[in-house]
Amino acid sequence: MSVETSDIRLERYDLSTASFGALVGIGRAALIIVPLLVWELCSRFGLINGFLFPAPSLILYKLWVQSGPNGNPPYAILWHVAYSMLRLLSGITIAVIVGTLIGVALGMSRRARLVFQPIISILMPVPTLAWTPVLLLVIGIDNRTTILVVFLAAVFEMIYIIAGGIEMMNVKMLWVAQSMGASNGQIFWRVIIPGVFPYLITGTRLGTGYAWRALIAAEMLAASSYGLGFMIYDASEYMNMDVIYGGVMLIAVLGYLLENVLIGKVEAATTEKWGSTQ
Amino acid sequence: MPNATRSEAAVALFSEQKPRSTVYRATAPVVVFTLPIIAFLVIWEVAVRSGGIDATILPPPSTIVERGWMLLNPADLGQSILLIHIGVSLWRALISFALAALLAIPFGFFLGLNKTAYLIASPLLSLLLPLPAVAWTPIFLVSLGQGDLTIIAVCFLGAFFPILYSTIQGVRGIGRHSLWVVRSMGAGWLDIFRRVLLPGALPTLISGLKLGMAHSWRTLVAAEMLAALSHGLGFMIFAARSYMDVSTMFVGIVCLAVIGLLIERVVFGSLEAVTIRRWHGTGKLGPSR
Repeated sequence: MSVETSDIRLERYDLSTASFGALVGIGRAALIIVPLLVWELCSRFGLINGFLFPAPSLILYKLWVQSGPNGNPPYAILWHVAYSMLRLLSGITIAVIVGTLIGVALGMSRRARLVFQPIISILMPVPTLAWTPVLLLVIGIDNRTTILVVFLAAVFEMIYIIAGGIEMMNVKMLWVAQSMGASNGQIFWRVIIPGVFPYLITGTRLGTGYAWRALIAAEMLAASSYGLGFMIYDASEYMNMDVIYGGVMLIAVLGYLLENVLIGKVEAATTEKWGSTQ
Repeated sequence: MPNATRSEAAVALFSEQKPRSTVYRATAPVVVFTLPIIAFLVIWEVAVRSGGIDATILPPPSTIVERGWMLLNPADLGQSILLIHIGVSLWRALISFALAALLAIPFGFFLGLNKTAYLIASPLLSLLLPLPAVAWTPIFLVSLGQGDLTIIAVCFLGAFFPILYSTIQGVRGIGRHSLWVVRSMGAGWLDIFRRVLLPGALPTLISGLKLGMAHSWRTLVAAEMLAALSHGLGFMIFAARSYMDVSTMFVGIVCLAVIGLLIERVVFGSLEAVTIRRWHGTGKLGPSR
């Protein structure tokens, strides 16, 4: 323990003190606020092109108006967000279910792995968005197209991670459950699912990241009326720069919330319930 | 399912005991890998030929191969449409990747070494990191117009953040102690960079470059669909859609997958192998006590 003490003493200079913390806080705020302020002033005083770079206050005002009853259509932003989230959620849900089933099958059965692993490994490197035109032809401009793109973006990651997770699992646990007379259903729900749960969560998190990126692009290519990707792409056709910037900001904030807050919460809740198993 | 695991264990047991010829050992994995793919293609072909699937929506593999051969135009490779599309796409992806690496690596080293700067920048970075690069496309479309510049800018942003993030993680993972040790022994900054920082951060850095290239390649497809004036694989696929030319679309998809895989496996695989050989066991250069 004496070694530890000397270590702590050496590292003391970067232990965060109150004043250091405050300084970092100010720096963080400044790094976001100062550029916005400079942008605002430059745009207001005509130093930069006010059409290409509308002042941030105008962007926020536009966002506010568009999400209120006076927007065109009314509550437009809310509908865009709702549609995007709905598509993301449906695609992810299907991907989690299908990915878990295929992943477990691949992990458990040697025969399934021999047959399906090569096929999956040639489909995996295809950029998800390359499927969009094919789906557009098969399905047309429809919610199903965007949902399928989201599904494709997430499912391979899920399969890959869950199959890997099963391989890491202790085979003896299965033997124990079997020797005590557990049925296949019981083994699936009581042994396999809790066993792969950490991997399931990791897969969902990574998959959601990919899916979010794919969703925005797919909505640009394949959505007809709503969705954040559609909103910014449609705005670019009419050159509504304020809507584009507002949409990009919204996408950034939502992506941040999705990746850090929501999934972080789910992760914390589940690891509390099941522990990290073993 | 549990029976399968048991038989798996049995198979593992038996295969260890049976001695096998070298030819078998060399060819068996290849055959085992390609057989399901061939079977899959044959089923697809039969399903379409027998009329189970509409050939205008899902053309049989033979038609796709034929189409690809026609586009490749092997008689006159200089005029090959497919090669031009591939070349233009590769050029765009590589330019944006190179620019991203050139800017992101020094910046990443700076943020990785300077803790205060990292703390200050981290909220902004975590806001920009999950932002899909494609979301920038409309902004560039309006300000730069359609064409190469927009595509390269979007792909640049797609590659920049993964590389930046991995560089920061790689440098931060080195551990202050190894820096102190080397400095206390009188190493200059150049030596520290060359002997400690670079080898220490390299494994993470290379996986970041790999990720950056993958992102750049994937973003490229979307950007080319949205903003290309002519040429590029994404453009080819999206233009084929207007003519209901599904087999050309599948040719494009196959090319995208194969090139992506080649870049990942061949280019970065050999890069990884070289670094591991050059700095053998540098993975151990973690935070140590």
